Amino acid sequence: MIRRQLRVLRICWRAAVAADLEYRLQFLSAAALSAFWMVWAVAGASVYFRFAGSVAGWTHGEVLVVIGLFFTLNGLRQTLLQPNLELMSDHVRRGTLDFLLTKPFDAQLLVSLGRVRVTNLLDPALGLVLTTVGVGLAGRGVSPGRLAAFLLLLACAAVLLYALTVLLMAATVVLVAAEDLDRVSFAFVELSRFPVDLYRDPARTLLTVVPVAFLTTYPGAALLGRLDPRLLPVAVLVAAGAVALATAAWRRALRTYAGVGG
Amino acid sequence: MRDTLTAYRGLARGGTLVAVTYRGRLVLRVLTGFFPLLMMAVWLTVVAEGGPPAGWTAGDFLAYYAAATLVVNLSGDHVVWQWDADLRSGDLSLRLLRPLHPFHQYAAADLGQRAVTLVALGPALALAAVLSPALDYPVTPARLVAFAAALVLAYALGLLTASTFALLGFWSTQTANVWLLWWGLGSFASGWVAPLELLPPWLRTAALVLPFRSMMGFPVELLTGRLDGAQTAFGFAVGLGWLGVFALLYRFGWRRGVRRHQAVAG
Amino acid sequence: MIEVRDLAKHYRVHRRQPGLAASLRSLVRREHVTVRAVERVSFTISAGEVVGFLGPNGAGKTTTLKCLTGLLHPTAGAVRVLGHTPHRRESAFLRRISLVMGQRNGLFWDLPAADAFEVNRAVYGIAEGPYRAALDELVDLLGLAELLGRQVRVLSLGERMRCELAGALLHRPDVLFLDEPTLGLDVNGQAAVRAFLRDYNDRHGATVLLTSHYMGDVTALARRVLVVDRGTLRFDGDLAALVEAHSPHRLVRVTLRAPVPAATWAGLGEPVTVDGAVVTLAVPRAETAAVAGRLLATLPVEDVAIEDPPIEEIIRAVFAHA
Repeated sequence: MIRRQLRVLRICWRAAVAADLEYRLQFLSAAALSAFWMVWAVAGASVYFRFAGSVAGWTHGEVLVVIGLFFTLNGLRQTLLQPNLELMSDHVRRGTLDFLLTKPFDAQLLVSLGRVRVTNLLDPALGLVLTTVGVGLAGRGVSPGRLAAFLLLLACAAVLLYALTVLLMAATVVLVAAEDLDRVSFAFVELSRFPVDLYRDPARTLLTVVPVAFLTTYPGAALLGRLDPRLLPVAVLVAAGAVALATAAWRRALRTYAGVGG
Repeated sequence: MRDTLTAYRGLARGGTLVAVTYRGRLVLRVLTGFFPLLMMAVWLTVVAEGGPPAGWTAGDFLAYYAAATLVVNLSGDHVVWQWDADLRSGDLSLRLLRPLHPFHQYAAADLGQRAVTLVALGPALALAAVLSPALDYPVTPARLVAFAAALVLAYALGLLTASTFALLGFWSTQTANVWLLWWGLGSFASGWVAPLELLPPWLRTAALVLPFRSMMGFPVELLTGRLDGAQTAFGFAVGLGWLGVFALLYRFGWRRGVRRHQAVAG
Repeated sequence: MIEVRDLAKHYRVHRRQPGLAASLRSLVRREHVTVRAVERVSFTISAGEVVGFLGPNGAGKTTTLKCLTGLLHPTAGAVRVLGHTPHRRESAFLRRISLVMGQRNGLFWDLPAADAFEVNRAVYGIAEGPYRAALDELVDLLGLAELLGRQVRVLSLGERMRCELAGALLHRPDVLFLDEPTLGLDVNGQAAVRAFLRDYNDRHGATVLLTSHYMGDVTALARRVLVVDRGTLRFDGDLAALVEAHSPHRLVRVTLRAPVPAATWAGLGEPVTVDGAVVTLAVPRAETAAVAGRLLATLPVEDVAIEDPPIEEIIRAVFAHA
């Protein structure tokens, strides 16, 4: 079963990649634009550091670590999650969700990961480069323990994003309105551009609860060795809880859909 | 002329109706409209920790970013997305068959949508002004009139630059990317990334003559009382000059573009 | 009214083989081919005519229509519509035509059709009186009373097309261009659109040009047909003449009281189908009456019917001859 699902995913992805490559200019210019936005973000952040050596305890280099992680996650969102959200709202608009649900396949997996858009694949790579540069500038060194904690938290962040996507898809089905819900996931990731500590309370607390802080702030802090280790199990629990919540919401949404659509 | 005005009324109404159809979308738009305030939050932290940078107090930042939020959301450059979508899908053909230049079709619909933004955002900002004593604009009748005029100029210039860039869609599928590049570069000279006074001097000087400041920083600076008479006049002159430049570019691009469209796409 | 002389339209498209490897290759190097979508087409249409364009997909029907509405600039040849040169897209010209495309949505997806109509009224500058009159008539003819207040996206395809038609006719165009107006509609939807177009043409004498690959649209509406294939005009004239010119046979269907040996048909006609006691013969057009007489005289006949072959077959014959 799992093998068949992976095969279907692979076929879907191959077709999507071929379709993307068809627009060669789009591909190249998206890559150029990715690099440009990174320079833009770095230059924009440097304005704050014209006036202060550190903001809320984060030095310039440390902020770059988080900005790099922001690009990594945002690239992931644009590559994997956004195209599927767009497709979903298309399905709801055109009423073609039925076709999808009648296919002998786990609908959640197919609708949430069935499509990829490779044009933004450069962002995660560039993001990790920036993170590495930031770690160097921060001058705190790296240890295997920190790296392991970082990788675990980054995985949790990716899972969180996935859960949010499934949640938004469920919302799309229930509301039966293709309101551009992908803006929510855009905003969610956009809020993680800087360490949440840079915003003052109550915004800071709000972003910790929402939980934007788990996207980039905590993984970045872990890499820099400034994270309270007690947050590690919390992050795992938050990610697992988010997936459980999203899956439940998706199942419920499908039941509602079947009830309404007949 | 009267025909065009009548058409504007009807099209603007359509734009308004589309904008208010979905409550959820409206709420999202208002929420994402407050994004500039995030940058303000960081500045407030900087002020709290190390004192006012370049003499900008917390009140200055509040006043600047509240006005900036309004100006950004009333910008006319949103039309680029609809142009782009229509050129890609081929729906521009439908617009070409109507006896009204597509520029006006997009502009009028966008005006209808901006009206909704204003109705949604206006009360929120007014409430913020009442609740926050730091949000205190040095308002005089003359300054208000000048601000309104600068706002209209900002809208018109945004509309015209966006429409001009949208014409690239006749030749290329890269309109959105080129536009984002232009916008991204411009955001340093417009006052978006940070108030221009906080930027390096060379950038500040360049920003004075580039078109970007007219679309955001200029009206905001006017309202916050940072400009004297001469600076105000200079700002208007630069904005009007660019308006003329882009009007010419637009006319040129449109003629070429339609000819190209008729040659290949239809 | 509409004059087309030696119209030609060519364009270049890029070509790619399927597969991932080919798409990677085409990232670097592209192959181009020139498509001759329309090649030396000439015809004239007078006011009030209903003309159908027939032909397979990609024959050049839509390209011709786009040249006539001004969306495309002809590569060669001359086009005049209502005294205008379409590709100049003068406002006076655009106000007198309308184009309905079956797969395009001229309404607002998220709004009721009534709101889109108001926008059209503004765009075409239709005065209150004529607008009311046109709207009332269209609502009546198309049965829109129930639909006007509903969001376009919840309408069925057929309902949407009826709204689309109304929106396109509010300004009472003199020439109506229809590109596949019944695409994807069910039988009832097709019938409703056809009945409306016929009625509308009768009432207002509007010139109607439609492309369709549903033969029924054309046979129901157009007395005159233009058959295009691979960019060239194969036939221009009466539907009846098309049938006569390309179908030298008619079909005689005989119902017998009892089956007869196959040899019986020799000298009468070519048996096309034999279904027990029901036999269909292809008989040369001129001899049909005589053959029918002989059948009645010599065989145990219950019933005889004479008909033309289906138009699809005739069209296929037209293309086969080419």
